Amino acid sequence: MDLSESELACLQFCLKLSRHAPSLCSKDIDALRACGFGDESIFEAVAVTALAVYRCTLSLGLGPEPDFGPRKLPSTRIDQQPGPAPHGLLSDSHEAAQRKEPYVHAPYLSPKAFSPFAIVQQSHGFIPNFFRAQTLRPDLLEAELEAVGRILLPEDALTRLQKESILLAVSAANLNSYCVAMHCNLLRGLGMPSEEGDQIAVDHHESNLSVADKGLLDFAVKLGTRGPGFSRRDVVKLQALGFTEEQILECVVVTALNNFANTLQMGLGIAPDFAPPAGFEENKVHLADAVATPIGREGGMYLVDVLQDLDAELVAQAQGGKLEAFEALVRRHTQLIYRTLMAMLGNPADAQDSLQDTLLNAFKHIGGFQGRSKFSTWLVSIARNTALQRLRGRKNVESLDEPEREEEGDFRPRQVRSWADNPEQLHSKSEIQQLVEAGIVGLPAKYRVVVVLRDIEQLSTDEVARELGLSVPAVKTRLLRGRLMLREWLSPHFTASTRGAVK
Amino acid sequence: MITCEEFFAEFADYMENQVSPEIRKELTLHLSQCRACQVLYDTSLKTVKIVTESGSFELPHSVSDPIIDCVMAKLRKEHS
Repeated sequence: MDLSESELACLQFCLKLSRHAPSLCSKDIDALRACGFGDESIFEAVAVTALAVYRCTLSLGLGPEPDFGPRKLPSTRIDQQPGPAPHGLLSDSHEAAQRKEPYVHAPYLSPKAFSPFAIVQQSHGFIPNFFRAQTLRPDLLEAELEAVGRILLPEDALTRLQKESILLAVSAANLNSYCVAMHCNLLRGLGMPSEEGDQIAVDHHESNLSVADKGLLDFAVKLGTRGPGFSRRDVVKLQALGFTEEQILECVVVTALNNFANTLQMGLGIAPDFAPPAGFEENKVHLADAVATPIGREGGMYLVDVLQDLDAELVAQAQGGKLEAFEALVRRHTQLIYRTLMAMLGNPADAQDSLQDTLLNAFKHIGGFQGRSKFSTWLVSIARNTALQRLRGRKNVESLDEPEREEEGDFRPRQVRSWADNPEQLHSKSEIQQLVEAGIVGLPAKYRVVVVLRDIEQLSTDEVARELGLSVPAVKTRLLRGRLMLREWLSPHFTASTRGAVK
Repeated sequence: MITCEEFFAEFADYMENQVSPEIRKELTLHLSQCRACQVLYDTSLKTVKIVTESGSFELPHSVSDPIIDCVMAKLRKEHS
């Protein structure tokens, strides 16, 4: 598809906002204005991106795609008036005059003229800048406020405290100072001690929350940061902690709403109402300060690069020697690296040793990463080479590159007994994990790698092919054989008559 | 109706839902009439589900964090 220069700029802006919001700055907005975009168009681009992030988070958390799309709303003309500064908030202080204005024009709306603001005034005691900054589109704002009220206020499944804790922890993980400060303040209003809220923002594991609530926040943070490892397993973990399906659904929806709010705030450059906790600011990776270059042709970065590498901003900083950025990158991809190493080496001790070597090698060579592939692909190749070095020290090395042999073409399943309807119920979770791990470790290495990356790491067939340097047909063949071998291995344990047969 | 050999040739793509509607129709018809292929298909799907949901080879934070911390400490020392 041929995009015009301005369409391309808009798409690049939206992609950056959706995936690298903390690095967004006023130069990105200037780049849009230079392409002819006005306040209303920029506002819509931000709002639609926020909605897309909301939907992506919902979709990731619930599995199926939500069944609705963004609404096209009519514009409204409102007279501009100066807004009263709420008492006791940051916007009261002299610092307010030095703060940057929001990126788009926000006409004043009084609670009298706009009834939803009267409700906000009543519940918050003031109108947060977050809502004031959206008055260019009061119709959109009204719909948003109604959704916020319906999702956050009832205590049918999760409590207000749990919901606010989710909003705080996920905003902190998304490096959103505004929302962190806001939810710290709201938690104080709900009776949580300030230090406890601050601790959730810095690291909820160290807070006094119950084990179950820490698990709830782990789930929300993993979902909210849309990490590649999020899967049904995370839902199962929450169920094991005693959460009902209704509570899990609420957690997913609250997390998605949070991402909507985080994206809007960062996209519109909304000034804070309160100071965020000092501990959070000290620990935060200051991406926004570090990356002042807007994406665009003049920056030498093209749309295709953004699509291919969602880690680009952090990589650029790590290449500049910023260790915090490198640390954030490796924490994001540790599971992928570890599973690649496990798949190649077949034992945890070797994989853990090689994880350390892989990370050191990655930092050593990161200057040579030119962005021609995804960063995760490059990391897998470093892991692969590190594992190969270790394998060379072993006797009877299994080859990963060995072509398919003729006789393997005749591979046919032998087990023809049917399995129980719900085979997972025949054994405990840990027994199943033990069985699967033993089965995978027992596979020839070339099948093991493909099965681990496709079925456990859940990369697509194309991604596995790219990451291993194989053709797609070769991946398909190896995947089928690996799966069928595993099926043979698992069959004796999952036929209806073999309860308790794990050894 | 297609044979078991022909079914098996398309099996990988059928599992991944990557066959054309016409071929899918043929394969589904075969499945409805062949017990052995039905068992193969059903147990293969269950295998993938069990493997995917097993949580295998997950490195707990209690193990990965010290490794990353150690690497970062080494790098910080080198760059200080």
